[in-house]
Amino acid sequence: MKYFLNLLLFVALAMAANAAEIKLLNVSYDPTRELYVEYNAAFAKYWKAKTGDDVDISQSHGGSGKQAQSVINGLEADVVTLALAYDIDAISTQARLLPANWQKRLPDNSTPYTSTIVFLVRKGNPKGIKDWDDVVKKGVSVVVANPKTSGGARWAYLAAYAYALEKNNHDDAAARDFITKLYKNVPVLDSGARGSTVTFAQRQIGDVLLAWENEAHLALKEFGADKFDIVTPSLSILAEPPVTIVDKNAKRHHTTEVANEYLKYLYSDEGQEIAAKNFYRPRNEAIAAKYAANFNQVKLVTVDQEFGGWTKAQQTHFADGGVFDQIFQPQN
Amino acid sequence: MKTIKLKQLVIAAALGTQFALPAYAADGAATGTNGTATVEIPAFAADGSGGNPAQEAEIKALKQQIDALVQKVNSLEQQRGPAEQAATISDLDQQVRILQRQREIDQDAAAAKAATAPKITLGANGFSFSSADSNFVTQIHGVIQVDSRTFFHDDNAKGVDGFLLRRARPILSGTVYRDFDYMFVPDFGGSTVQIFDAYLNYRYAPEFQVQVGKFKSPVGIEALQADANIQFNERSLATDLVPNRDLGLALKGDLYGGAASYTVGIFNGVSDYNGTTTNQFSQNNKALVSRLIFQPWKNTDVNALRGFGFGVAGSYENDQPATNATTSLTPGYTTDGQQKFFTYNKNVYASGVHWRLSPQSYYYYGPFGLLGEYVISDQRVSNDSTGGSKNVDVHNTAWEVAGSWLLTGEDASYNGITPRQNFDPRLNQWGAWQVVARFAELNVDSDVFKGSSVNTSLANPTVSADRAQSWALGLNWYLNKNIRADVSFSHTTFGGYTGPTTGVPAQSENVLFTRVQLAF
Repeated sequence: MKYFLNLLLFVALAMAANAAEIKLLNVSYDPTRELYVEYNAAFAKYWKAKTGDDVDISQSHGGSGKQAQSVINGLEADVVTLALAYDIDAISTQARLLPANWQKRLPDNSTPYTSTIVFLVRKGNPKGIKDWDDVVKKGVSVVVANPKTSGGARWAYLAAYAYALEKNNHDDAAARDFITKLYKNVPVLDSGARGSTVTFAQRQIGDVLLAWENEAHLALKEFGADKFDIVTPSLSILAEPPVTIVDKNAKRHHTTEVANEYLKYLYSDEGQEIAAKNFYRPRNEAIAAKYAANFNQVKLVTVDQEFGGWTKAQQTHFADGGVFDQIFQPQN
Repeated sequence: MKTIKLKQLVIAAALGTQFALPAYAADGAATGTNGTATVEIPAFAADGSGGNPAQEAEIKALKQQIDALVQKVNSLEQQRGPAEQAATISDLDQQVRILQRQREIDQDAAAAKAATAPKITLGANGFSFSSADSNFVTQIHGVIQVDSRTFFHDDNAKGVDGFLLRRARPILSGTVYRDFDYMFVPDFGGSTVQIFDAYLNYRYAPEFQVQVGKFKSPVGIEALQADANIQFNERSLATDLVPNRDLGLALKGDLYGGAASYTVGIFNGVSDYNGTTTNQFSQNNKALVSRLIFQPWKNTDVNALRGFGFGVAGSYENDQPATNATTSLTPGYTTDGQQKFFTYNKNVYASGVHWRLSPQSYYYYGPFGLLGEYVISDQRVSNDSTGGSKNVDVHNTAWEVAGSWLLTGEDASYNGITPRQNFDPRLNQWGAWQVVARFAELNVDSDVFKGSSVNTSLANPTVSADRAQSWALGLNWYLNKNIRADVSFSHTTFGGYTGPTTGVPAQSENVLFTRVQLAF
């Protein structure tokens, strides 16, 4: 009996030694594909030089809300890099995969880069869209993703709502009327920001796309600057997409150390350069200054200032039965 | 619309004038095409000469104005029409694009939803429920066997004719997280409910699996065949010597693409085959069991060689029952008709090493199947009575050869038969038909009868035989993959028995079996 147990132990150890390759899964929101292709290559090179180990990073992309739900349902993310803190809070409260104070673990509330919402219009701006007021006019077709599933769409919704609040002396009824008119102009809702870019840029639907700033620049790069123009509204929202390690998954996969380093490297000079090159606004001031020409000046408001924080905003606007559900009627 | 109306108006006016003018321009006679009254026109109006100069000038001016207006309307129509058309086309184009994109989004959403929906299937292989990601799979199978046994020439002394529910087993099996298989099989046939199988198997790789729980001890090839797939109602005499289900842990795997298979396990240890399995252990020492099977030509192109396999299995234990109530001995060897022909005496117990060795082989090619095994069960046995035989190494042997032939041409298999055509007389389809034959023999060590008296020996020749020989013939009808009907006849003779002359083992056993089976 003892000999047999020793044999079993030997076999188990052999199995463990054989499973050495480091793999990370980064579950991210929709438009960060290009960013992380470049960043992952850079980090793998850095990690190899530092430790001699190979690290293979897989990506999953989709609407931020949907991605969070996937992780809650069992997608074994080592790290999440989502569009808004609320989605990561949901992973913490519903699946208990990471602690509630996760956002304090990395600098700048765990947001190594920021972004905002701009307008992408057809070349020459035939509908003359200059600001949010133009977006709600009759006859203007607006493309934006579904805020129930897309983080970018939630930022866009809140940017429009914030503009209306600022314009109307924080009259909520007026803002609600404004947002109702906006969504009356929306013919189709994609589940994520990338999908709405496809709708606007590839399927040639709509007059204006309410897009992540980086997504708008990438559309110019991919489809040609002769096809579209970027219009920066007078006011937009400071979007802070956060990043964090999913503690329990990383512990189970024995990837805690490399996952932490993966996220920290986003704050390094190389990480910040990559972010800026991909049209995310870096936190590093020197690098932000270096790439200032990529980003238009715009008055930015925050979720905390205008809406009392994400939890309140989510509950008021995007939860089932919230303002969005009340005002949005599908066109077809 | 205004333009159109204007255009229509102008044209109508121009046409009306054109119709009216010839009436004036003719030679003074003009007729209307609709038979209306005509107006004579003075001859001077035809060539512009003569008549009233003022009227003539006015008419000429009006004509010029009309021409100009027509030209202007045509020009306007050309400018506005295409633009309007373009706008309409653009709107329509957007609508079509929107509808197409909405359809794409809906299809993506439906696909995403389908990807998370559980799958349920029902078919010849039973019920199956699976989560969308296949991490949780549960299958429900079952085996129901209704038999009849009719004994001939036994003077009703031993065998009882009748029907019986031989097996009634719901089989719950499944897989958790793709690598962990489980099985739970209770049995409701017979007089008591038993748990036959209850185990978990971890598949790290096809070459390396770990199984723990209660399952068939890997020794006898016929014993290891699934109950739904055995060719006769009952297994042969050779299976009397191999262990049945046991509790333990085994490492197993298939090597070289299945050309070799191994199993090595440690179990509680059970006596030679008997119908009742135990869920507890009765002694400290455990049984080591192993089996090695080769199918060297499994992956060749030569069909005739693919179905050949051979191997060896064995077990080793040192039997020392913990209490006097248990003997760790077989309760007896039984015939095909399940009648005991050999038992140990009372007070006889296992007192030392019990080892088994079983070389075995099989061959399947086309409709032909052949299976054979030889079993040695060598066990140290003692009689606890005063003067009883002590530490006798009882060396029992058995062997069997079983052949089959599918008359309807299907391929024979260890793992069951699937008819080419299901039974349906309306379509002149009769399922699959198989003839089967078997010969088997079991020899008990004649030392069991040695002793100063029947009470001190290990067995009593007036109660038990030390030899049984059996042949059997049968016809199996596979109506479809799930339903089967069998009939067979078995004849068993005995040797070494010196007891009363009625009943088994004094007389040969002759049994007619039938079976109807549902398995899914």
